[in-house]
Parts: sequence; structure tokens; C-alpha cells
Amino acid sequence: MSPAAVALAIDAHEVTKTFRSGWLRRRETAALRGVSLTVERGAIFGLLGPNGAGKTTLLSILATLLVPDGGVARVLGLDVVRDTSALRRRLNMASGRPSFLWSLRVEEIVAFYARLYGLSGARLRRRVDALIEQYELGPHRRVPYSELSTGLKQRVALAKALVNDPELLFLDEPTLGLDPDVSVRVRRHIAELRREHGMTIVLTTHYMREADELCDEIGFIKSGRILARGTPDALKRQIGLGDVVALKLEPRPAWLGEVPGVLRCAEADGWIECTVDDADKRVPELLRALLADGVEIRNLQVREPELEEVFVELAR
Amino acid sequence: MSLRAELLAAWAVVVRNALMGMRNVFFFFELLFWPIVGVLSIGLMTRFLGLTPEQAAFVLVGTLALSVINVCQLEVAYAMLLDVWSKSVKHQFMAPIGVRHLTVGAWLVGMLRGLVIFVLLSALGAWAFDFHVLAPGLGAAAVFLFGCFLTSWIVGVAVCALITLFGSRAEAFAWASVNLVLVLAGIYYPVSVLPPSVAVLARAIPLTYFLDAYRAHFGFPAEFPAPIATGLAMSAVYAVLAHWAFRAAVERARRTGLLLKMSE
Repeated sequence: MSPAAVALAIDAHEVTKTFRSGWLRRRETAALRGVSLTVERGAIFGLLGPNGAGKTTLLSILATLLVPDGGVARVLGLDVVRDTSALRRRLNMASGRPSFLWSLRVEEIVAFYARLYGLSGARLRRRVDALIEQYELGPHRRVPYSELSTGLKQRVALAKALVNDPELLFLDEPTLGLDPDVSVRVRRHIAELRREHGMTIVLTTHYMREADELCDEIGFIKSGRILARGTPDALKRQIGLGDVVALKLEPRPAWLGEVPGVLRCAEADGWIECTVDDADKRVPELLRALLADGVEIRNLQVREPELEEVFVELAR
Repeated sequence: MSLRAELLAAWAVVVRNALMGMRNVFFFFELLFWPIVGVLSIGLMTRFLGLTPEQAAFVLVGTLALSVINVCQLEVAYAMLLDVWSKSVKHQFMAPIGVRHLTVGAWLVGMLRGLVIFVLLSALGAWAFDFHVLAPGLGAAAVFLFGCFLTSWIVGVAVCALITLFGSRAEAFAWASVNLVLVLAGIYYPVSVLPPSVAVLARAIPLTYFLDAYRAHFGFPAEFPAPIATGLAMSAVYAVLAHWAFRAAVERARRTGLLLKMSE
């Protein structure tokens, strides 16, 4: 294997997966239609896409939970079909809708998975204690899983996902349904995992702000294909959404949308939002034109497009 | 996987199933209520019908087998059922755990529960109906009990395979399949009373031979030559087949996506 391949946490080529259902009337759903993806070690990679795009299918294949129909996927240098036993020791996963045995207590759930990863005796106890402390589950360690709140269940899932100190962590919508303050803490913790442990993290999320904040790189997946990938900034440029110039004007000039470089204008909450190809170049031109027309400029803001707008554009 | 890791993975399942079992509201019913009701009702029926002590022992051996196998088999099926019910299948199979750890771990708990039932019912049988399970000797009782445990493992693993193949729709097999096996194996009667076509099926069930061997100690001549050896050999073959079927079912579920669906 080449040194470049060793530096990759994920190296997938033309991965395909079709789900078949029904006995009499066979239905086929192509979930992945030739996905190629590389993720460097130590990176946080975000997989975004609408519902049914293939995010969870791809994650499940990479996590050895699903066998692909075609293509090759290597994770941490190991084949996801042939080397499953060795691979499972080195990765882990937490999902946004966690579910564990309902009457096991928090500490028992973490200990169960710790044993599966070969921990026993004092090492097991230390690891369980450390994870319970890390996720502030101390007051709940003897509470049955079924009695935990959504946020606490999510914290248990994260504690379980770190029980083997994985080199690669898959997070499937890790902040789904969490209170905003808990989401902020979870995101902070995800960033810490990479910073302090050098862990590679692949996450799926519906929250663009989360992806923007956390991810080094993002891949947009739709209908089983990766449509675009890059850093959040590069993606915004790549899609060519331009910059947004928000103005409060009196009166509103009718000619605003006809100024060269202005791609479109829309009104919202008393603001006129003009998307321009390049804010540095177009804002002075706009200001000159407005002043020349006697329009009063009460407020002006310039911002880059949100990742959400990139998402909407790609999902169209 | 090292031997230590193998043992730890199986032990993890032992601890998990034991904890779940103790917190199960049906635990009392599974462990005490139904088995005791079974022995008492069957024992009283033998008295009402005026059966000889040998005939009563014949029937009570069947009751004992039924109680032990029911509980032990269900525990083995729990290896898969617990995760299906709690939708945690994907977490389980993402961890380095094989079907052997799941089934052996669950079987160990099942055997412990089965042993408790065997001891309780033996005491009850001796006290209420003068039926002594150790009369044929400790060895004979141990072989009979082991035969029951082997049958439980085979049926339980087969149920796990069916659940993995068909999802929670196959849950009913967990309760139904073992009763079919018990009926065919001659739980309250000798295989010779079965219609010939059904008797052929009975001869394909290891429990038939373990029951036959044990009952021979209570005055009923064995119907089959070398029943213990036959039962053990047959169990070994079925155990391998059941294990293979479960493994194949898990691999199929990985291909079809059922492993994920069972977690949704």
C-alpha cells in the first residue's frame, strides 16, 4: 500500500448499494450509485444531504454494518468486507437516535461494550468511570436507560462510542433532538476529540451551522452520488452563490436588481437582500448608485452565503 | 481473537443477559410459577388417573424436560431478541462480537436458569409425588439435563437465525418452535405411539434419545439402541448447522440492510 493510501482514514471507490424489498413485487432502491470518497486521517469530515440521499448507507458500509454491492472501500487501510473483525476493534459509531437495552443502567451499558473490546477488571472499571465522568453521567450511572432523557441517552451513546478509544469515529446526526446548550457542548467535545486524540471523525448532520463549525471538509450527497466536496468556504465559492449585501433603504429603488453584478434581490423583514457576484467590487458601485439616486441608506451588512444556501442549491 | 478476548466477549453477554433476566417482570413466572404449576398439575393428573409410580415418573420426566428446555431455549433466543426489542442490533454487530459469543453467553445463563428449575422441580417432585430424579444416579440425571440443554441451544440458535432473517415477524418462533420439538420428541408418551410418519420426525430429534435413555432407568425399556451416543452425535451435527445458519443469517442481514432496519 502506498504511503498516500496509509495516510487516508477512508479510501472508497465507486461504492454501490441497492436495497431490494418485497417478495412478489420486487422493489429496488438504489441507495448509492458509485460513491468515491477519501478522508485524511485526523480530519473531521461532514456528510450532508437531504433525507434518503445515502448518508447513513455510506456510513454503515464504512462501519462494516452493511455490505456494498460493488466498489471497494478501505477504512484505516483495511477492507470493509474482508477485514471486518480487525476493523471493528479500531472504529466506533454513535447515532442521533441511540438505543440500548432498556433496563440496563448507564454504567452497565458502557461496561458491556467495554468487555466486548477486551477490557476487564480494574482497566474496565477505570475506563467506565472515566467515560461516565467525561460525559457528566455520574449522577445517572445507576439509572436504567429507559428512564434517561434524550440528551442523556445521546451522552451514553457517545460514551459507548469512545469505549475502545477508536481511531475513526462515525457520528450519525450526533446532535439530533438535543437542547441547544447540550448541542454546543457535544460539538465542543467533538472538536476536542480530534484536537487532543487525533481522532478521525466522519459525521452526518442536517445542521449546516454544525458542519460549518466543525468540519474540515464537507461532502454533499444526493440520490446516492457525491455532488460536491471541499472545505465549507471552497464549497460556497464553488457553487457560485456570491455574497449577500443586505440593505435598509428609503425609498426602495426599483432598479436595484438591474445593477451590473447583482444576481438577484429579495425582501425580508424590512431588509433588501441582494446577492452579488463579488461584494468587494459591487458594494462601492451600489453605494455610489444609491447616493446618486438620492436613496437614504439606513443600514448595510455584507455576509458570505450560509452553508444552508449551498445545501439548498445542491439539493435542488 | 485471543482466547482471553473470546472469553470476555462471551462473559459480556453472560452479564448482560443475567442483568436483563433479573429485571424482567416475567422472571418470577418463567423461573418459578409456570414450572411449578406444570409439575403440580401433571403430578396431580397422574394421581387422578391412578398411574403406577413408573408411569408417573415417565410423565413427570417430560414435564421436567419441558420446563428446563422452555426457559433455557428462550434465554438463548434472547441473545438476539433483546437487541431486536431495544433496537440496538447495529451497536451490537459493530462491536467485535461473533454469533458464538452471543449464543454461548446466553446459553450459559440459560443453563443456570435451567439448573435452578431442575433442582426446584426435582425437590417438588420428590416431596409431592415421590418422584426422585436422582434415583437412576447422578450421572444419568446429568446426561439427561445436558441433553435438555443441548436441545435448548439448538432450538434457540435456530430461532436467532430466523429472527435475523425475518426480523421481529419471526418472534413467535421463539415461543412456538420449542413446543413443536417437545411434542415430536414424545414429551408425555413413547415415540412408538406416534403415527409412523411423525415418528420418523421424532427420530430426527436428539431430545427423543435423551428422554428415552433417562426413562429407561424408570422401568421403560429403551426404544432405541445407544440412545445417549445417538443423541449426542445428532446434537453435535445440529449444533454446527444451527450455528452456521445463524452466521449466514447475520451475513445476509448485512447484505440486505435488515441489520440496520432492526435498529430503526
